[in-house]
Amino acid sequence: MTASGSERRAARRMRRRSRLPTILGVAGLVIVGALVFTAVLAPWLAPYDPTDRIARPFLPPSAEHLLGTNDVGHDLLSEIIYGSRVSLLVGLVAATVALLIGTSVGVVAGYYPKRLGSTLMRGVDVILILPFLPLLIVLAAYLGRSLLNTILVIGLLIWAEPARIIRSQVLSLRSREYVLAARSMGAPDRWTILRHIVPRTALLATGSFVRAVSGAILLEAALSFLGLGDPIQKSWGSTLYWAQTRGAFLTPAWKWWVLPPGLLIMLASLGFALIAFSLEERINPRL
Amino acid sequence: MQRIKRLKWTVLLVVLALVIVGCGDGDAEEEPAATTAAAPATTAAPEPGDQEEPAPEPGDQEEPAPETTTTTAAPAPPPEPVTVRAAVTGDEGTLTPYTYISGFPGWNLLMLQYDSLMQLDAAGVPQPWLASSVNVSDDLTEWSVTLVEGVTFHDGEPLTSDDVAFSVEFYTTNPEASRFARDFRGVADVVVHDDYNVTFVLESANPGFDVVALADAPIIPRHIWESVELPSEHQFAGGTNIGSGPYMLTEYVDSQSYRFAANPNYFRGAPAVDELVVIVFADDAGAQAAIRTGEVDVIFERIPPEQIDLLDAQDPLDVILGPEFATQMINYDASIRPFDDVAVRQAINLAMDRQDFVDTVYLGAATVGSPGWIHPGHSVYNPGIATDVYDPAAANALLEGAGYADTDGDGVREFDGQPMSFEIITNASDSLRLRIAELTVEMLAAIGIETEVLPVDTGVWENAVWPGFDVNNGRNYQIAMWGWSPPVQADPLRLPWLVHSSLDRGFLNLTGYGNAEMDELSEALAVEPDPAERKAILGRMQEIIAEDLPFVLLLYPDGAYVYDSSVYADWEFIAGQGIVSKLSLLPPSARP
Repeated sequence: MTASGSERRAARRMRRRSRLPTILGVAGLVIVGALVFTAVLAPWLAPYDPTDRIARPFLPPSAEHLLGTNDVGHDLLSEIIYGSRVSLLVGLVAATVALLIGTSVGVVAGYYPKRLGSTLMRGVDVILILPFLPLLIVLAAYLGRSLLNTILVIGLLIWAEPARIIRSQVLSLRSREYVLAARSMGAPDRWTILRHIVPRTALLATGSFVRAVSGAILLEAALSFLGLGDPIQKSWGSTLYWAQTRGAFLTPAWKWWVLPPGLLIMLASLGFALIAFSLEERINPRL
Repeated sequence: MQRIKRLKWTVLLVVLALVIVGCGDGDAEEEPAATTAAAPATTAAPEPGDQEEPAPEPGDQEEPAPETTTTTAAPAPPPEPVTVRAAVTGDEGTLTPYTYISGFPGWNLLMLQYDSLMQLDAAGVPQPWLASSVNVSDDLTEWSVTLVEGVTFHDGEPLTSDDVAFSVEFYTTNPEASRFARDFRGVADVVVHDDYNVTFVLESANPGFDVVALADAPIIPRHIWESVELPSEHQFAGGTNIGSGPYMLTEYVDSQSYRFAANPNYFRGAPAVDELVVIVFADDAGAQAAIRTGEVDVIFERIPPEQIDLLDAQDPLDVILGPEFATQMINYDASIRPFDDVAVRQAINLAMDRQDFVDTVYLGAATVGSPGWIHPGHSVYNPGIATDVYDPAAANALLEGAGYADTDGDGVREFDGQPMSFEIITNASDSLRLRIAELTVEMLAAIGIETEVLPVDTGVWENAVWPGFDVNNGRNYQIAMWGWSPPVQADPLRLPWLVHSSLDRGFLNLTGYGNAEMDELSEALAVEPDPAERKAILGRMQEIIAEDLPFVLLLYPDGAYVYDSSVYADWEFIAGQGIVSKLSLLPPSARP
């Protein structure tokens, strides 16, 4: 009785463990799906062109302008809908950049762990040790304001973590029997890496990628809010930047000018983070 | 067990539902936000027409306001001491002529303790102050000053011509630089005739000596300063800030506060405010929050346009607006194609909807720019210069007539076979200027000129427009948003600096502009003794600028200051300088 009871409980716990990530993953997918849908269909969803001055500045919400207008009379709702494009784009592209760098460094460092690998990993350590946000701000200020620079700066700073994760996977892969067998039969390193190593890091890389997107969206918002992005470009961060410089944080306008973009940044980041969490559970359930 | 499981599932589902509702977000959440928030915001909505606050009545001061907790609003006839608490956003050092920090409001606080020979009146025109009369020779090189008799410093010592001569000598010979050394640059000699008569002999004619020097530099006492060698180390310590002004600094807490006591023996009469406490805040937001909650009674900084109506709507706060001579303008490199063609410059001028800039970006708290550079509220403004020149149809006709046609039909005109497509460089740190740049892009698009805003750091921007702060280094931009600080315009005799084609005279000529008649007028202006004649010359120069357009002036931001009218309401707005001056704190009868 006791034995079978505890067994059943253990089994149930296992099932619950395996279901929770799925549910969260689905939730993440729904959030991200909705946001991507908004971004792609922005011209149809947005009631106005966000660069048209269609009404008086600083209007509170009304039937025509559900979130009111900003400091020069752009419709805030349209601005936020279009803003999803920039925020998601920066998130996805910057994470791709980070992943390309991270995977390459991780695979090379893991496959040649001695001199080359340890040199590379010291570089990764340096990136990880550097105070992150100040470095990001300095780089962004130095490179100047443009969408491309924002993407590059973020991408160049968040690749170190994926590199570490992938290297540890590669370290274990390279001593697997089938890899050893391939190498002992004279397979060149390039072939071994492409045929046996890289495909087996793909899942792990996907998890890192999704997590990187979540981080990159937050970073883009932070940079734009600080005025280090392109303030003319409509993104959630730049909406917050203008809200801040035109005093919306001190007036009732925060409810329609600050809260919505803030919530959307949170949601986007949360959505990707949930997907990443669920993917990680699947890839490596012992985590 | 089964029930617990179901409960957990329910909780999970609720969470999930919340997340999904959340991501339907915007649309779902707006409605409640709209209804709850609409009410307070309607009252706060900007109404540009409403902002010219009438000058506060002196009687306002006596009205007890229900919300205020200050000790001063007593209606009883034996007046209780009036204490005004003012907010500034940054420490200003120990407020001696060598240790104050910013030009505004540091210099203004400094001048509460000291006096200058002349003092700007509300219109911004210098009037005799420590001087009872100022006379200038016909060749503008000898300025004779008669002092008011019986003026004493805070320690009781009399102020005489000896102190005036000493002040000039101290500022010009002390190795440490100061604003006042610049004021008296070009003074060849100071001749002391007797205790109350002194003559400044200048190396060359300077019609603006009264504004730049006599109304700017504080007179310091010889008996305090003659033993001082390094004035920057001569910090406030009880006896150092001895001046002749209406206030004495009695307490200074680094980065926190200043306390000024009224000088009851002030030669123009005892100040209306008995004690002035200046509190240092970290930023604008802090200062605004403080005046909302009644912690301070006035902010000694301009408030941004979007705050004007919000603060004014709150009782007992009032906002006072007035002209400032700062500028927002468009610069272009007039030495390169196509901006060397006056038709292009005129078209750009005609395409600018100046009223739109004022209403949209400044919410009405600015004055529409005169194409002739001088502020319409300025004493030398030429009323023949129209400011309502917006006419995009005329601009299009002008460009069409000058041969800038859109031959390939893409909506962008061409010049010399290239599209009229340019970058507008601006400094990203000035958010209002950035918005002006965005609006400029729209307005230029309407006349077939395609532009793109390039927001950069201030250093990059300055280096493109004014490399090394030396016009001899040329220019590195096509179109730039620009603006000069108030002194450049407040003193109209500086106009040649902006437009003279010779770069040592036109050392602020950032657009590479040149016009022979303008050069002649500039030179005539510098030696013209008769003020009326100078005004006529300046009037003609404004006409040339409005027609020839070395730059396109868009607007002059107004100064706006907020104060608590239940505590003190007699603030005087000096054109171009704002309310932070001794005039504001003296009884109206003592003002010039």
